[in-house]
Amino acid sequence: MSDTLLEVTGLAKHYPVREGLILARQVGVVRAVDGVSFTVNRGETLALVGESGCGKSTTARLVLRLIEPSAGTINFEGVNVTRSAGAAQRAMRRRMQIVFQDPYASLNPRLTVADTIAEPMIVHGIGDTASRRKRVEELLGLVGLRPFHAQRYPHEFSGGQRQRIGIARALSVQPDLVVCDEPVSALDVSIQAQVVNLLKDLQRRFGLAYLFIAHDLAVVKHVADRVAVMYLGQIVETARKGDLFTTPRHPYTRALLAAIPHPDPQRRGQVKPLGGDVPSPMNPPPGCRFHTRCPFAQERCRIEAPALRRMADGHEAACHFAETLPPAGLDFSGGLSEIAAKRLALYARALAA
Amino acid sequence: MSAATDASEPIAPPRPGILSRLMREPGAAISLILVVLLVGAAVFAPLLAPTDPYDNDLALSMAPPGSDGLLLGADAQGRDMITRLLYGLRVSLMMGFAAVAIGGGIGALLGFLAAFYRRWLDGPIMRLVDIMLSFPAILVGLAIAAIFGPGIFSVVLALSVATVPLMARIVRGSAMVVMRLDFIEAARATGMSDARLIWRHLAPNCLSAIFVFATLRFGQVILLGSALSFLGLGAQPPVPELGAMASEGRNFLFFAPHIAVVPCVVIFIVVLAFNVLGDALRDALDPRLRV
Repeated sequence: MSDTLLEVTGLAKHYPVREGLILARQVGVVRAVDGVSFTVNRGETLALVGESGCGKSTTARLVLRLIEPSAGTINFEGVNVTRSAGAAQRAMRRRMQIVFQDPYASLNPRLTVADTIAEPMIVHGIGDTASRRKRVEELLGLVGLRPFHAQRYPHEFSGGQRQRIGIARALSVQPDLVVCDEPVSALDVSIQAQVVNLLKDLQRRFGLAYLFIAHDLAVVKHVADRVAVMYLGQIVETARKGDLFTTPRHPYTRALLAAIPHPDPQRRGQVKPLGGDVPSPMNPPPGCRFHTRCPFAQERCRIEAPALRRMADGHEAACHFAETLPPAGLDFSGGLSEIAAKRLALYARALAA
Repeated sequence: MSAATDASEPIAPPRPGILSRLMREPGAAISLILVVLLVGAAVFAPLLAPTDPYDNDLALSMAPPGSDGLLLGADAQGRDMITRLLYGLRVSLMMGFAAVAIGGGIGALLGFLAAFYRRWLDGPIMRLVDIMLSFPAILVGLAIAAIFGPGIFSVVLALSVATVPLMARIVRGSAMVVMRLDFIEAARATGMSDARLIWRHLAPNCLSAIFVFATLRFGQVILLGSALSFLGLGAQPPVPELGAMASEGRNFLFFAPHIAVVPCVVIFIVVLAFNVLGDALRDALDPRLRV
């Protein structure tokens, strides 16, 4: 399709679990992220979805090297940055930025908005004091704030405004990739719409690529080009957004989509919610990690771990029986709740305005 | 509020300076004035003092306050109490400032490093701090006085050493909380150096803890310094120092209580004023509490 910006292969993060006070010995490993591979193309949005604790945020931080990976490689524009340090690391940091989930914790309360937004430029030696001030005003305008906001402190803003400041900070060094770690989960629905649309706007203007972490499928449906579904530290399915929502191939993806509340009484009884809990990442089940909860699990699933297999163009799923699963009998394309549908309409209206 | 206010026009709210914010609190205002007066008195002691602190007139020995034009009387050697107090304040404040600045500075740095390089430095630094904490300040003072000889230098050194572990613990605790916040990660994601990250993002958010503890410690340090002087390890007679003066007056408590009481009252005022000011400064420095 288009050229690859970020390529992640076999990325893993294992946390050792130690026991004992003085002579701590390792008693196990938490496999927070366990062999994740994906690519993000220039100017595209890849959404990473999954339930909480599946390793989405860890993956985001691994990509940015805020956490050191235990294994795997990260290629940025074809350059391996997995172990880069010093100047190379700084150069990489300029190209990748992050927007956080919690707008209240992600801004330093002691710095004015102007200082917060200008700091990445100072760190990378971009411009002088005057040009940076101009750039800050420009960025504030871009994210829908006003120049006089520059001298204020974060506590004087609402959550949505703070998130805009966080976005302005991320954009100040003109990155190519922005990792959005649940950027709207902490916001009100009406504010979510504004921020999501702002992100889409900025993407169109600057050709940004997003790695968009989310658990909200309504938001994902609105922003993503492609979607990767994570379960217990691994990717179980990746597909273009349309394909994923119409023909999900992995049972877990189906369960996720089916779990969206639907105002259709006909569906009652057709949707079987997943039983059980997510297994501990310290002791993942052998074979397919989903077999403990999968309604279609067979003997093979308990023994052999399925690899991601190509289903169709740009559509991969990690299930032994992806082709032979009984039809879900559900129309996932319209499978958004009334509320979610309303929100989508709201997004669209806000975008048109 | 009025209709004339155009919403699109930025109305820059007047941002009161730190001084005017301090002066709004009556307690803070009084303590600030007191601290300014005390520090001013100490700095300008040579100009303000009516006599020389070492001038003695045994005829005036233990003269009660108000006699012979001596507002606060004279001590056992017949030296003017006001003069001695002014010079004593000078020595005591300098000792307190030096010990809190040196010990607090080193302690804060250790605390930041322990919290920031948690994996590598937290264990070693905190064990060092534990060892330092297990020595009583007086014992450290004795050891240092034995090495360097009694004097103000030894007292400052001993008080600094006694302040380092306390400050390190408090700063480490406060810094660990800050380290978990997203803006630290955001700062790291910009690729800035560790030094800049600590200085610009970590340290300012620990300031209130540092301020509160430093002012609290200032009072304690003055008291501790007085105790060391009392034991003969600090200021050597005839150098005036508030604690030393109080201990000299102890011998005459029944005949001339003012010799001991007056320096103690000054110590009390100094400690109280700095504590109240420290609290007020913490509130004034925190942008979240600005109204």
